[in-house]
Amino acid sequence: MQRLGDFKLPAFFNYPPYFTLQPVRETREKQVQLWKELILDYCRTQKIFVIGLEEEFPLFSNLVIERSLSNEAREAFLSALVSEGRAEWLDKGHRKCLILWHRIQDWADLILSFVKENGLEDSVMTVEEIRSGIESRGTELQGMDRTVLMRALKVLENKGKLAIFKGTSADDEGVKFSI
Amino acid sequence: MRRRPGIGGLQTAAAARDQYRLLGENVAKLRTDLMKEQLATFRSQLEDFARKHKNDIRKNPTFRSQFHEMCAKVGVDPLASNKGFWAELLGIGDFYYELGVQIVDICLATRAHNGGLINLQDLCKLLRQRRKSDRELVSEDDCLRAISKLKVLGSGFEVISVGKKKLVRSVPTELNKDHNQILELAQAQGFVTVDEVERRLSWTSGRAIDALDTLLDDGLAMIDDGHRDGKRRYWFPCVSSITSVGADS
Repeated sequence: MQRLGDFKLPAFFNYPPYFTLQPVRETREKQVQLWKELILDYCRTQKIFVIGLEEEFPLFSNLVIERSLSNEAREAFLSALVSEGRAEWLDKGHRKCLILWHRIQDWADLILSFVKENGLEDSVMTVEEIRSGIESRGTELQGMDRTVLMRALKVLENKGKLAIFKGTSADDEGVKFSI
Repeated sequence: MRRRPGIGGLQTAAAARDQYRLLGENVAKLRTDLMKEQLATFRSQLEDFARKHKNDIRKNPTFRSQFHEMCAKVGVDPLASNKGFWAELLGIGDFYYELGVQIVDICLATRAHNGGLINLQDLCKLLRQRRKSDRELVSEDDCLRAISKLKVLGSGFEVISVGKKKLVRSVPTELNKDHNQILELAQAQGFVTVDEVERRLSWTSGRAIDALDTLLDDGLAMIDDGHRDGKRRYWFPCVSSITSVGADS
């Protein structure tokens, strides 16, 4: 079994035709399904939030069998994720894609349980602290994408679970929990 | 002077006929009894044999296949019915029915990947992976027997020979001679190109493309445009041995 770092690649990754978009509908559905699972799995384990279509991305090429995905194929697989709510295009030209292996709502739930576990129900934290503070070390929140975090916090704010307020500088936003 | 037939003569002739018939019946009965006795002996011998080698039959695939061959020669089918002596003694029927169910499962699970045509070797490998907790080994011969039992269901399970390999078909597609030849050609590398088909089989390009397109539509082939030489390759998952694809999902 081939590996990318500590990531175990599935067998289809070594089968050349999976790198060409299949013309027959049923075969293509299976192909897209396998790629969607692979992309989500890989991003989750490697904590990757943004994939640039034209940038180097380890899954898009397989040096062993000398195949790489065309831009069309990359866009097709990511679009399939977008249509399921597991990804979002960050630009109109579909060149950058935000991968949501947890949906925004799931991230919001993770934040809630993080707050409860650490007894922070009435505390104040900066956004940066949630991503890289001592409390979040070893949790899924550690190192999470700032855009995704802000979106999840907004969801919670709309539910009245917290209030976001501006700090002195622009990148220093704070959160007051009230759960 | 010649005696004319009288009542006494007629009676003698009738008595003689009766005697002959009686004797004949006796001989026939004797023969039948002998035959029955021989059959009983034979059956009990076969049972003894089966009982004695029960473990070998259950555990050793080669022995099992030889036992089946022997049974076939003497006209006994241990799989004919799940009830009765053979099933009770060996549990052979259940074994094959179980295999059958697992084979159907694997064929369905891998269908999206291989279009419903799977290499017998790959099928066996998947079957063994699935039964790994089970210490009883499964041979290709066992697979073939289980598949032949599936025919009763009329579900279109069939074993076809392509070149040296046996493929198990679980979809009702009919493969014609052209398709078979392409599959045979593909066994060497797992794929073919249009050029190769034309050259090796001396076909016109129309015929090659037509056959390949049908195989593609049936989900038996996948295209690969990624090779350096820029020639489209047609891959056939049913003849290559990437077996874990599709099976685990």
